[in-house]
Amino acid sequence: MLEIKNLHVKIAAEDKPILKGINLVVPNGEVHAIMGPNGSGKSTLAYVLAGRSDYEVTEGDILWNNESILGMAPDVRAAKGVFLAFQYPMEIPGVAGLTFLRTAANAVRKKRGQAEYTTPEFMKVVRERAAKLNIDIEMLKRPVNVGFSGGEKKRSEILQMAMLEPTLCVLDETDSGLDIDALRIVSDGVNALRGPDRSMVVITHYQRLLDYIVPDKVHVLAHGVIRKTGDKELAKQLETTGYAEFEGKAA
Amino acid sequence: MSVAIMKTKAELALAEQFQSALPALPGGPEVAKVRQQAIATFGELGLPHRRIEDWKYTDLRTAFKDPAPPSAGDAAKLTVGDLIVALGPYMDLDAPRIVFVNGHYRRPLSNLAGAEAVIVSPLSEKFERLTPAQSDAVTSLNTAFVTDGAVITIPAGVTLEKPLLIVSLTAGKDARLSTVRHQIDAGADARATLVELFITLPGSSPDQQTNTLTTLTAGDRASITHVKAASDGGRATHLSNWIVALGAGTLYRGFQMTSGLALVRNEIAALYRGEHAKLDISGVFLGRSNDHIDTTLTVDHAVPHCESRELFAGVLDGRARGIFQGKIIVRPDAQKTDGKQMARAMMLSPDAEFDSKPELEIYADDVVCGHGSTVAEIDEDLLFYCQARGIPADEARAMLVESFIGEAIERVEHEGLRHCLMQTATAWLNALPA
Repeated sequence: MLEIKNLHVKIAAEDKPILKGINLVVPNGEVHAIMGPNGSGKSTLAYVLAGRSDYEVTEGDILWNNESILGMAPDVRAAKGVFLAFQYPMEIPGVAGLTFLRTAANAVRKKRGQAEYTTPEFMKVVRERAAKLNIDIEMLKRPVNVGFSGGEKKRSEILQMAMLEPTLCVLDETDSGLDIDALRIVSDGVNALRGPDRSMVVITHYQRLLDYIVPDKVHVLAHGVIRKTGDKELAKQLETTGYAEFEGKAA
Repeated sequence: MSVAIMKTKAELALAEQFQSALPALPGGPEVAKVRQQAIATFGELGLPHRRIEDWKYTDLRTAFKDPAPPSAGDAAKLTVGDLIVALGPYMDLDAPRIVFVNGHYRRPLSNLAGAEAVIVSPLSEKFERLTPAQSDAVTSLNTAFVTDGAVITIPAGVTLEKPLLIVSLTAGKDARLSTVRHQIDAGADARATLVELFITLPGSSPDQQTNTLTTLTAGDRASITHVKAASDGGRATHLSNWIVALGAGTLYRGFQMTSGLALVRNEIAALYRGEHAKLDISGVFLGRSNDHIDTTLTVDHAVPHCESRELFAGVLDGRARGIFQGKIIVRPDAQKTDGKQMARAMMLSPDAEFDSKPELEIYADDVVCGHGSTVAEIDEDLLFYCQARGIPADEARAMLVESFIGEAIERVEHEGLRHCLMQTATAWLNALPA
């Protein structure tokens, strides 16, 4: 279970607060969507969950399975099951996709006390999971994300997620830059990972993604706080009304 | 007003050492005469210093203070076991080898099985004559002090299947100056891979000094890969020259890797003698603490229709300094020349320094030539991305640096050799202070 308690965050190098007291609970097995206007702090929340050092938590806490993760390095959080699917996946010239996936998967397996994949085991697993995401294995012999289209990068993110077998998935604007076919493939990949032991936080600006990944709850984040919480109907309502209601300063 | 430059302590010591070493140096009176002329040339020039344009960044007058006595023979008694340890991953190539210890041929350590098609002999066994290679100070010292080296002839049309290792080991509790000269002559249509290795044995003095010179001539349509890897010398000094001449339609791939040496000058001069030849000269330099690694390259497009490619990648930590000087000359007749040069450095410390000086001297009008140079640190965003995928920071850092080095090592076609070079690079990275 994810518990975010009164979370205040600022950019480490500046004084300007971005998150101003977020409270959020995502029980095991639930998918929660976080929506909101641009600049509301959605991506900041995603980065803070993953442990990016550019941000500073000034108040509050993040508990994952009753344990504070704030003092943990990003790789330690990953081993604890936290996974962030990036809005803009990075290109890593010179590192082959398969090498990267194997290094990452074995790093978390080792920390979780699981046996590391042997080469044949790894290849079998990666072939299966790549096929489900319509990813050609030849593509994974190339350097990570280099020369990939927007859709290919997002599918590559979901493959990484599938290989790392996280228990908390944070998806940051996974729908951005996807056409309708790619959106369907990516959503199918995400839905395949839904399960009673896995919590998901789906961050999006548009309701469209939530037609495919149907959330248990929808939260509206604006000006650094959660302004409204509802079920999937709230997302549909936002689609018609927009975020105008939340544009004003928080009280 | 002109002021006579005072000779440095090192210059005086070298002259003295030459006089006492001369009687024991190989070769008859004719060779001795050439040596004396060379030391006289050195006496006039002195050690190169920063006011000489080519030596702007590497002032040997200040950096090279204590010349070690020339190695008089193989003081260190090395076994095949020692050699196996020294060669490390290169043993897996199962390749023929000619071995020198402190600049002297060691038959018991050499094994030329598999290289029967080529003629390999130690220079010390055919020392009838010696020619000064160039007129500069460092090669003059090489001519004066040279004790041995590999003389290799690859007859026309012969293909050498396995790489041929030319191994120079330095060993012993006392610092010595080892001076070797290799002469490689590849006939028309010959194909071969030659690998020069310079390794200091564990437990040896960390102050070993080497002056090495290789001349390589490739006949028409020959295809030659030529690698040099110098590593693990502690505070060692390594002065190296490659002089390469290419015939028509040749394909020459040169590669140099330098790691774990304190004072290094790698000079490479390549000359095209025939048209439609292609060369790729690339390399990796890895510097830490106060290491100083200078690569100075001249590619002389003297004839039309030739192609040159260079990619050098350096990783610099501590107060290390990397230098890349790359000169491409395109002579008036060398139309349709195609030249591209790139030098990249990754800085692991704010105190490291990289000096890059590309020089294009183009006298022909129908050519395509380009050069570039970059300096970068490890990308923090990439580092976070790797960490977010569960890869610990130090492992992620190593992976990103390895990928940076790997891009240059990719230029080596032989997979086994690439693996050896990568292993040396990884070992160097793993030994860096955290």
